Amino acid sequence: MTIPPNYYTLLGILKDASPEEIKRAYIESAQRLHPDKNQAPGETEIFLEVQQAYETLSNPKRRKAYDATLPKEETDSNPIFHEVLYSRPQLVRMDEPQLVYVLLNLRAHHQNEPFPIPPLNVCLVLDRSTSMKDAKMDLLKAAAIQFMRGLRPEDIFSVVAFSDRAEVIIPAAYQADRQKLESRIRDIQASGATELFQGLECGMNEMRRGLDARRVNQLILLTDGHTYGDEEACIKLATKAAQEGIGISVMGIGTDWNDTFLDQVASRTGNTSRYIARPQEIQKLLAEKFRNLTRVLVEEVTLESKLQDGISLNYAFRLQPETGPVSFGEMTRLGSVLRDTDLSILFEFLVQPPALKPQGTHLLDGNLKIVMAARPTPLPPIRIRLEREVADEPAPVSPPSAILQALSRLTLYRMQERARAESQNGELAQATRSLKNLAAHLLEQGHRDLANTVLLEAENIQRKRAFSLTGEKEIKYATRALLMQEGESST
Amino acid sequence: MITCKNCLHKNSPGAIFCSDCGAQLSDMDLSTQSIRTDKVIAPVGGDTNIPSAPKPITDHGWGSLHLMESGQILPLAERDEFTLGRVSEGQPAVPDLDLSPYMAYAGGVSRMHALLKRDGKRVILMDLGSANGTYVNGKRLTANVERLLNHGDVVALGKFKFQVLIR
Repeated sequence: MTIPPNYYTLLGILKDASPEEIKRAYIESAQRLHPDKNQAPGETEIFLEVQQAYETLSNPKRRKAYDATLPKEETDSNPIFHEVLYSRPQLVRMDEPQLVYVLLNLRAHHQNEPFPIPPLNVCLVLDRSTSMKDAKMDLLKAAAIQFMRGLRPEDIFSVVAFSDRAEVIIPAAYQADRQKLESRIRDIQASGATELFQGLECGMNEMRRGLDARRVNQLILLTDGHTYGDEEACIKLATKAAQEGIGISVMGIGTDWNDTFLDQVASRTGNTSRYIARPQEIQKLLAEKFRNLTRVLVEEVTLESKLQDGISLNYAFRLQPETGPVSFGEMTRLGSVLRDTDLSILFEFLVQPPALKPQGTHLLDGNLKIVMAARPTPLPPIRIRLEREVADEPAPVSPPSAILQALSRLTLYRMQERARAESQNGELAQATRSLKNLAAHLLEQGHRDLANTVLLEAENIQRKRAFSLTGEKEIKYATRALLMQEGESST
Repeated sequence: MITCKNCLHKNSPGAIFCSDCGAQLSDMDLSTQSIRTDKVIAPVGGDTNIPSAPKPITDHGWGSLHLMESGQILPLAERDEFTLGRVSEGQPAVPDLDLSPYMAYAGGVSRMHALLKRDGKRVILMDLGSANGTYVNGKRLTANVERLLNHGDVVALGKFKFQVLIR
């Protein structure tokens, strides 16, 4: 199935690239590959090919003739197609820092070859600390059993339970005798403290036994409590998991778990945390998770990139699927592309004046690496370059509506983040004001119940001088859910 | 610096929403006016009077749009593909068929709302990710997915309605 690179892939451009883009791509490749400064064997040949590609594509007539020779399938041989939107067409020359927003979308081609649905390798890591006692534990066990019943014969499944130590309840394997296994889950008893690292490490070992690039590999942590002292170790472990191709997602039950920390753990692997307000909902959320896992087309998109000098990233946020913060670094796990849902990431860049160059400003250069469980051969990375021209005057163009809509909702989410930070810093008046602003926006958009919750929290802060544990999670995950609806209705 | 009109917070240039109070900063409008779409559409039954034979508007047209609000007829001729939307200031891409003279803004029509095209004898409609959606006989289309149209179908862009007459 290896197709020789065509001229477009050789230059790292799309088939509809503009003449300027072709030229720029050529200059860049030529600089990188020029025989004068290049040593690696084989690169001279590539350089000659690049030259030939440019000669063909830079001439409209020859380009057209060349396009006609490309087989139809070749044009969309990459099953993933990406699209970049900017909040404005140009940066403006000025001597203060300025913001620019970028929306990156990755989508599955509609008419691509019908890829088989990849089997799963899933480990449920269940918190069985004392706080889980009684009804909560029973509902968790029931949900885990339901989850197991829903698996397909080709899926590999394991269960780990942990408190201050962890044990393997069901080792990773194809599960034949499910009835016997169900009784093992039923026998889990709640006792002890919560030590997340114990559970995660034990779960990771089970994940590794079934690890296979042809599967969708995911560890699902269900917990209701804080962990103490092992946060660093958990984050390190998540980083390692991401390198090994294992996703970690988190479901927090009730209000006593540390959502900020567990978001960090999950986002290291391109995943996110969900809030389970009532234990009765565990089953529903697990079923939803299972559905998402079976709709995965691309397991993980990783952005390998470097920010250019004078550019900083204020934040990156995944709008869909599985809405949540993205933790940005040299290797950024962006998340997965589902068969029917784009992966959409919104970036906010801050550009310092020295980065405004006459020939244009590079925000970020990098590659998108695509891990696709259903595809036997590795996919070529997608080159990505975010850049803007620099003008003297702002262009009177309003931002694309997709960015505007996403930002209007993300702004609400960030306002609650801000209110929480303010209350943690003891700036209670500020936090109250932020919450009132948030409530006003929510009312405007017709979310009356949520607006009320927010106002109640504002009052609560006045009285108790801190967020309530319920309030902070309710508001956070409800404003996040607003983003989710937006994403799903537009696909 | 952009000063927020609502709270006077100073935001970095390029900001779109105030980082302090969340108000929208750019007063360039012009996001498409948001309307409630839940009550807009009543499905049209077969007994509405479809003009049985669309009057020939031009000799070479392949169809026309019957605007239900104003009763006007817009011919579809001279090309096989029309983007439908409304022109607004400072917009880089302009729709082929500008509906702004027919109160499209009040109806919630996006600037690039939908694509109407002819493919041989078939007539196809596709929503282009519009803010308020595109409906055919009361059913909302999925964005960017093509939908075959029949003669007499009632299309709504937001709540801007027209009937498609195919020759």
